[in-house]
Amino acid sequence: MTSITQDDVLFILKLLDESPFDELQIEYGDLKLRVKKQGKLEEVGRGAQEDQKTLSTPLELQGGQSSLPQALEGKGTPVPPPPVDDATLAEKGLIPIRAPMLGTFYRTPKPGAPPFVEVGSFVEEDDPVCIIEVMKLFNTVRAGVRGRIAKICAEQGQMVEFQQTLFWVEKANGKGPSKGKRK
Amino acid sequence: MKRISRVLIANRGEIALRIIRACRNLGISTVLAASEIDRESLPARLADRVVCIGPSSPRESYLQVGTLIMAALGTGAEAIHPGYGFLAEQPELPEACAQNGLIFIGPKAHQIRQMGDKIFARKLAQNLGIPVIPGSDTIRELGEALSAAERWGYPLLLKAAAGGGGKGMKIVRRREDMEISFSEAASEAHAAFGDSRLYLERFIPRARHVEVQILGDRYGNLVHLGERDCSIQRRYQKMIEETPSPALSPAQRDALCQAAIRIAQEIQYENAGTVEFIFDPDQDRFYFLEMNTRIQVEHPVTEMVTGVDLVMEQIRIAGGEPLRFRQEEIQCRGHAMECRINAESPHRDFQPCPGRIAAWKPPEGKEIRIDTHCDPGYFVPPHYDSLLGKLVAWAPDRPAVIHRLTEALADFQVSGLDTTIPFLRFILKNPEFIQGTVHTRWIEETLLPEYQRHERNRLC
Repeated sequence: MTSITQDDVLFILKLLDESPFDELQIEYGDLKLRVKKQGKLEEVGRGAQEDQKTLSTPLELQGGQSSLPQALEGKGTPVPPPPVDDATLAEKGLIPIRAPMLGTFYRTPKPGAPPFVEVGSFVEEDDPVCIIEVMKLFNTVRAGVRGRIAKICAEQGQMVEFQQTLFWVEKANGKGPSKGKRK
Repeated sequence: MKRISRVLIANRGEIALRIIRACRNLGISTVLAASEIDRESLPARLADRVVCIGPSSPRESYLQVGTLIMAALGTGAEAIHPGYGFLAEQPELPEACAQNGLIFIGPKAHQIRQMGDKIFARKLAQNLGIPVIPGSDTIRELGEALSAAERWGYPLLLKAAAGGGGKGMKIVRRREDMEISFSEAASEAHAAFGDSRLYLERFIPRARHVEVQILGDRYGNLVHLGERDCSIQRRYQKMIEETPSPALSPAQRDALCQAAIRIAQEIQYENAGTVEFIFDPDQDRFYFLEMNTRIQVEHPVTEMVTGVDLVMEQIRIAGGEPLRFRQEEIQCRGHAMECRINAESPHRDFQPCPGRIAAWKPPEGKEIRIDTHCDPGYFVPPHYDSLLGKLVAWAPDRPAVIHRLTEALADFQVSGLDTTIPFLRFILKNPEFIQGTVHTRWIEETLLPEYQRHERNRLC
């Protein structure tokens, strides 16, 4: 499979910038690229674009190209999220998905499988978002809220505490799109 | 031997704080497993790290073996201290620890299991020639209870085979009462322990509760640290504990401590434990009651007279160290007395009264110790037991310690909720208590009616 180069991304961004659209999402193989003109996700906290490899604005990309490899999802190791004040995110109107128990956090239904959700994924209330393991018991955690995943706060394979925030969700208003599609 | 450098504390309240202090003294870092409501508690603020293990209900937090193991593994703790209550005497926790390469700070799982079976423990004592209160084997039905009662004579005590803490326990004074008491005790035992087996014991009217503190290591070294007298009880809940016991002669004390050592030796007991006895002052005899395989609430009185930090010794023993002292090196000096400060209302039949503490100013002074997790503004949650703290005093002799404790209680300022402090003061000034002639039902039979009269007169 031909991979997308940095030049390709810059070209795509230029197209978006000149277009009347605010947002763009491309899925190409296991690569996902999601770009927003007004950088709504970027506003909610730097963590959103740093650890989840979501590009926010063309300016940001051009100004700091070193972050580009992280923009290509499914490549490399995840960068631990920088500490973000929960209250700030809550003020932005984001809804947390919290751990219903203490245990080990898994983003994938089984080893090697793709994650349940990524940043930008659209989730219905009943959609599974992760698994928490307690002594070989695997508990599926569901979103409990309908909207778009804005931030993933827990690390694969790490212990999470009861009520620890695992995801932040940008809640969908009214009748939104179905899962995985653009708003 | 793996050195313990980090301990997960699977408990809350004053004992969690007590364990944090012991760990600090040993240079061990602490992780507190806290339920949701305990996240901001004083122990949570003092621990090096806090992990939230679940909602406030103990069943979903402090009683979850798997969650506690995960919390220990996930935070890099090598050992778990269970405190008292919750999982302290559940063999499942040490078993799960062993399976996951963790150290359980306490005895071996099989020792907990053996001593948790009260009938096994009785037989063990009997086989060693240590008297147990005359009584029956396990009784499954009323007919057996009635014929056993004919042999022993009334009054009798019906007790749960799996039990403790007064649950499933009934005094039967006459043959006519046996049927109803038997079914009540059996259903209480079933509800409390999931085991409705009962047995009968001869009832001792002026029984004193005297227990012996034991420490043992894995190399077969065992010592006792003297006794504690816990005869001041209300419905089998201890209120005041002291050492030495005012009821024992030196010869009786020695015999009691030797009996405790032999019981612990028989099961090669490791870590801290307490062997409980009933002392019958009318017959001048003691009887083995049961063994508790944990650190106890009232351990500070032993620490005050021996100078041994029992919780630190527990951790050292669990880490594989041999005992650091021989029997002859343990000296009991002076007299120590502890009273339990509970969030209970003495004038409303000791109803627990959780809520927010407004003022909280414990007494200070020479030879006064307070073990507590409370501070001004603390909210006493309704999910757990009502113990707010323990006030302990030391003095060269018993009259002096009663005086010191009385003064300290008078200085104890608490507001916002009711506590047992007024009732404790009432006990301490009672002539029978001062004489040391009380027994385990004295509070209910004698002092409470007096207290209620006193309260009525005070209000009129």
